[in-house]
Amino acid sequence: MRSVNWMLVVLASLAIPCASYAQYGAGKALPPSGNNGEAAKPNAAAAPAPTHDLSGVWMMRNPPGSNRGYTNYTYTDPKTDPPSLTAWGEEKFKEAKDSNGGNYTLDQTNDPVLTKCYPPGTPRVYFHPYPFEFVQGPKFMLMVFEYDHTMRRIYTDGRALPTDPDASWMGYSVGHWDGNTTFVVDTVGFNEKTWLDRLGHAHSEQLHVTERFRRVDRDHLQIDITMADPKALAKPWISTFYYENRPDWELGEISCSGDYLDFNNFESFSFKKKDEAPK
Amino acid sequence: MKSKSLAVVAAVAAVLIFSALTFAHHGTAAYDTSNALSFKGTVTEFRFINPHCQVYFDVKNDKGEVEHWQGELTAPNKLARAGWTKHSLNVGDQITVSGFAGKYGGHSLWIRKLVGPDGQSMQLFED
Repeated sequence: MRSVNWMLVVLASLAIPCASYAQYGAGKALPPSGNNGEAAKPNAAAAPAPTHDLSGVWMMRNPPGSNRGYTNYTYTDPKTDPPSLTAWGEEKFKEAKDSNGGNYTLDQTNDPVLTKCYPPGTPRVYFHPYPFEFVQGPKFMLMVFEYDHTMRRIYTDGRALPTDPDASWMGYSVGHWDGNTTFVVDTVGFNEKTWLDRLGHAHSEQLHVTERFRRVDRDHLQIDITMADPKALAKPWISTFYYENRPDWELGEISCSGDYLDFNNFESFSFKKKDEAPK
Repeated sequence: MKSKSLAVVAAVAAVLIFSALTFAHHGTAAYDTSNALSFKGTVTEFRFINPHCQVYFDVKNDKGEVEHWQGELTAPNKLARAGWTKHSLNVGDQITVSGFAGKYGGHSLWIRKLVGPDGQSMQLFED
């Protein structure tokens, strides 16, 4: 009987993938989660994007009809469109034991975020399945991420990118508007301690990230991401992520140290020492 | 356990769906996503904590013995945006949970569906 119920649940999910569900309601039995959740709903009557304004809370969602599962952990389909790596990039990637990609358990991974609570870096921070908020000031824009109080400051006062930046976790960013609804951000000044994605692709201090935040209408934001790094990438790695505005959401608190690291200790049986999993 | 063939069909379908969903912060390598399980149980503890909320519950197995289970949900912030509070589950609540057990033995479950004490399916993720 249990099995029958379970099967019905699964089949119902397949049959009505777009069903809405209310709190405690009897709608979709197995709701989606995180980055790759229910695709953005088409909105024929979407209000136009305001001019020079990205403020508000944004949550990643894939475009309608898309099922890009890989956007939970990397930028392009690892099987059909992997990044072009240099020999150095390949070597570093071989050393990586990812967990978010499903290959290693928590006690096996060497992911710097999961094992050390290192800041995720830019643009890996987008893979955390939590929202971020744009806060606009007159001379800079803040990106406040729910995950681990992570913040990026994007200067909009016309300054140039530093030519000899200090190494940092999230990078040094300057931005400008290209037209009324596209905000272009260049970021340099990274250390080499973070991964580009959750699979463990490496980058060097030469990483230069360009993001084009295109607010296509009031409710939807598309981020074109280009990662260039001559030491790690044989050619730039390019992807587009899709976000939806969440005017009713407020960011909560998620601390890595004290939450994630302690979790490894109290979390029980399923993550304990086991045989090495194959990559 | 009575309908193994149905369970297999369900599990295959489940994998098709879940393989595209978000991975927990520690990935899914620890869970056997090829084998979906479902239990009726009694809540013994509910922890509304980061990174993932925990539901502890007791289940009576086929031999009439009580098994202690630990179930994992998503982050409290996500559950809060789905309408939960730290009081949404309480000790003694009768629940039905479905999900995937840990690969390496032990009574650990990655919860994918939870029917609450009022008989209604509880929303496990934000919209």
